Amino acid sequence: MSALIVENLVAGYGDARVLHGVDLNVGQGEICAILGPNGAGKTTLLRALSGMVKARGTVRLGGTSLAGRSPDAVARLGVAHVPEGRGTFMPLTVEENLRLGAFVRRGKKDVDADLARIHTYFPVLKTRLKQAAGSLSGGEQQMLAIGRALMSRPRVLLLDEPSLGLAPLVTRELFRIVQAVNEEERTTVVVVEQNAHLALGIAQQAHVLETGRIVLSGTAAQIRADEQVAQSYLGYRV
Amino acid sequence: MAGFLQQVVEGLGAGAIYASMALALVLIYQFTGIVNFAQGELAMFSTYIAWQCVAAGLPFWAALALTLVVSFAGGMLVERLIIRPVEGAPELTIVIVTVGLFIFVNAAAGWIWTFLIKDFPNPFPQGALQLGGISVGFSTVGVLGVVALVMVLLYLLFQHTRIGLGMRAVATNPSSARLVGIRVGWTLALGWGLAATVGAVSGVLIAPLLFLEPNMMGGVLIYAFAAATLGGFDSPAGAVVGGVIVGVAETLAGAYVGFIGSDLKIGVPLMIILGVLLLRPQGLFGRAVVERA
Amino acid sequence: MTGRADANPATRDAAPATAAAATGEAGATSVRLFGWDAARWRWVAAAALLAAALYAPFQLIPFHVFQLTMVLVYAVALLGLNLLVGHAGQISLGHGAFFAVGAYAAAILMERWDTPYPLTLPIAAAVAFVLGLVLGVPAMRLRGLYLALVTLAIAIFLVPLLKRFEEVTGGSMGLTLAKPAPPAWSGLAEDQWIYFLVLAVAVAAFLLAGSLLRSRVGRALHAVRDNEIAAEVMGVRLSFYKTLAFAWSAMFAGAAGCVYTWVIGFVSPDSFTVNLSITLLAGLVVGGLGTMAGPVLGALFVMFVPGISQEINDAAPGVIFGLLIIAVMYVAPTGLAGLAGRLIRKIPRKE
Repeated sequence: MSALIVENLVAGYGDARVLHGVDLNVGQGEICAILGPNGAGKTTLLRALSGMVKARGTVRLGGTSLAGRSPDAVARLGVAHVPEGRGTFMPLTVEENLRLGAFVRRGKKDVDADLARIHTYFPVLKTRLKQAAGSLSGGEQQMLAIGRALMSRPRVLLLDEPSLGLAPLVTRELFRIVQAVNEEERTTVVVVEQNAHLALGIAQQAHVLETGRIVLSGTAAQIRADEQVAQSYLGYRV
Repeated sequence: MAGFLQQVVEGLGAGAIYASMALALVLIYQFTGIVNFAQGELAMFSTYIAWQCVAAGLPFWAALALTLVVSFAGGMLVERLIIRPVEGAPELTIVIVTVGLFIFVNAAAGWIWTFLIKDFPNPFPQGALQLGGISVGFSTVGVLGVVALVMVLLYLLFQHTRIGLGMRAVATNPSSARLVGIRVGWTLALGWGLAATVGAVSGVLIAPLLFLEPNMMGGVLIYAFAAATLGGFDSPAGAVVGGVIVGVAETLAGAYVGFIGSDLKIGVPLMIILGVLLLRPQGLFGRAVVERA
Repeated sequence: MTGRADANPATRDAAPATAAAATGEAGATSVRLFGWDAARWRWVAAAALLAAALYAPFQLIPFHVFQLTMVLVYAVALLGLNLLVGHAGQISLGHGAFFAVGAYAAAILMERWDTPYPLTLPIAAAVAFVLGLVLGVPAMRLRGLYLALVTLAIAIFLVPLLKRFEEVTGGSMGLTLAKPAPPAWSGLAEDQWIYFLVLAVAVAAFLLAGSLLRSRVGRALHAVRDNEIAAEVMGVRLSFYKTLAFAWSAMFAGAAGCVYTWVIGFVSPDSFTVNLSITLLAGLVVGGLGTMAGPVLGALFVMFVPGISQEINDAAPGVIFGLLIIAVMYVAPTGLAGLAGRLIRKIPRKE
């Protein structure tokens, strides 16, 4: 059963086309890694999925078409996008940031329960609830951003470079948590990542994007095993 | 001393009105980065609506309630119809559009109600409280009470409701707000509606002190600008404090600086604006100015 | 880092065409009609306009000559405002104040010191220029928004200030002055003589503004308008040029105010309320920001539309101005002049 189906997705900014027909098929509960060099269109792909940039082509979430919908409508349908830069509401408190994640949901009890659930994933946030989100460290803000996304109980979680600007230790911890969330909640995850090694470590399937096209797809293991790919696209030696 | 305190009290009454007008400006600025030059005119128009309701025989407070509802809807409508098409346009374009709105609303009021001045009923009783040699008019007490009530309601709205939280989210990070599912366009309209409502309150409060006529809010707008600049355009609390300071400063300057007198009081907000811009551009409570690219 | 490259174009399409977009000169070289390019056609048009302007006072009744004179007065003021708003992208809601300063400077010079009227022009312009510099320094250190606030406050403050200094300004009663008398050799009537005086000032003002804009300084102003940050990176001293633009535009407004005094022979505070400032901005926006024809079209508009529409209702001019400004900002940010330019450019090319 597919959670997210993307067919021939074309997107860009104004006259500048960035994506030239991208196909994806992400199974329910899967983690899908999108890899590729700078400027390949990875961020644009996520933005096209969540409606932040105009796109043509098919995007289906379960049975619902997302094409042409605004970002807030896509969010209400169950896609949580943790954008590049984390999208933190800086002057608001940590708790307010988390509650905003659940903005589209009704039922205070459920939301309170979810808040407690987020605390078990990210214990550090629990001690900072009344603090302004802007005062958190980069790693904590990334945790807050993922926590905020989880508060909406998303069917699909889109993560844009969660490792960006973070220390390796923090990044590893973050990916461990994403994996735990994926396993416990069966949340489908699409993660865009420069750090291919980490992303492939938790993903089931992976795609390499280059100049707006998918040039290679396979299971995470296949991609990792392909030495040529490793050198030319992923920038590290196996 | 009593005379001085008396002046301070008068200043507080004026300041409360400037504060509510400044609050209206700051509300819109926070959401959209727009300084709405038509804010005063919208308030004036609202005041005329209240006057019309009273003239039609409605009791004052019912007229006020109706006016606030109409103003709220009107503010939302203005955002949707007039401001939306230039959303994201350069500041120059937006400022000119709000100036156009200023001219239009001013003239529309003149068209509908003529430019002749009208008496506006004072909702508060005549007379004054005597407090140790200072007399505090019921009217001043009433103004302070109403403005305080508005502040408290706004505080509760922003800090303790889901909609208020959503509005603050939009004000701080609109694109991220969209990603959590907030309808940003409607939230902006809501902000304009709220601002128009708060502005309407200040219009209705000041109309009995001035006369009701289409140009009545021109001066008030300048005081409100001074208040918002002083408090910081991104700080609602600052707008309130700024409004009170401007009101007291204006009254004291008019009373004690012989040169200023009552006719040149309008120079006080100008001096305050220039002084703040030179010494502390972000205002007393504002965050350091970040250029919006 | 992928997004860095992605993000930039996104901001670009968020900024719709505005005053910054077309200056009216855009595409000037692309159109050719009967073998002449647009630049030459503009000179032909200007010459024809000037010829008509020289001929008109001999054909019109005095009242119409007076109206045309006022159009020229407003055109000079709008020319100054256009330097600031249209070319440097800074907004002034108080240009009527500089107009008033010029008018009062001329009036006071003539009233108190019997200054010959031709001398009042350079002095009034200089006074407005200096005042523009003094006020521009604090205002221009900050964003355009605050300039709008400060200038609006100045415009509102000016009226009570003029009333206060009664000994000098004549207070609410104002000052009444003799209009410039035509010299006997000219054989002109008073209204015609004044018309030609103002026409000379207006032509000089347009030539001056045109050469300013073609100079290095003009390019710096456009750079400031189109992208402040980039301009600063390229080494344009932002606050210097913004302040200078403000002072110049004040100077033109002051000159316009001075000739206004010649034309009307009377100044009073109530002629220079904030409405004048707002009307000037409205006229310029409708006429066309950042274009050379804009101030002329705007001046015609400011002069004639209120008179005509006032027959419907006292408030009709405001309603029309307000709606037009908003409409212009939506559909034609370069105003009537820009629209005309666009139509001309639609004429098929002939080789």
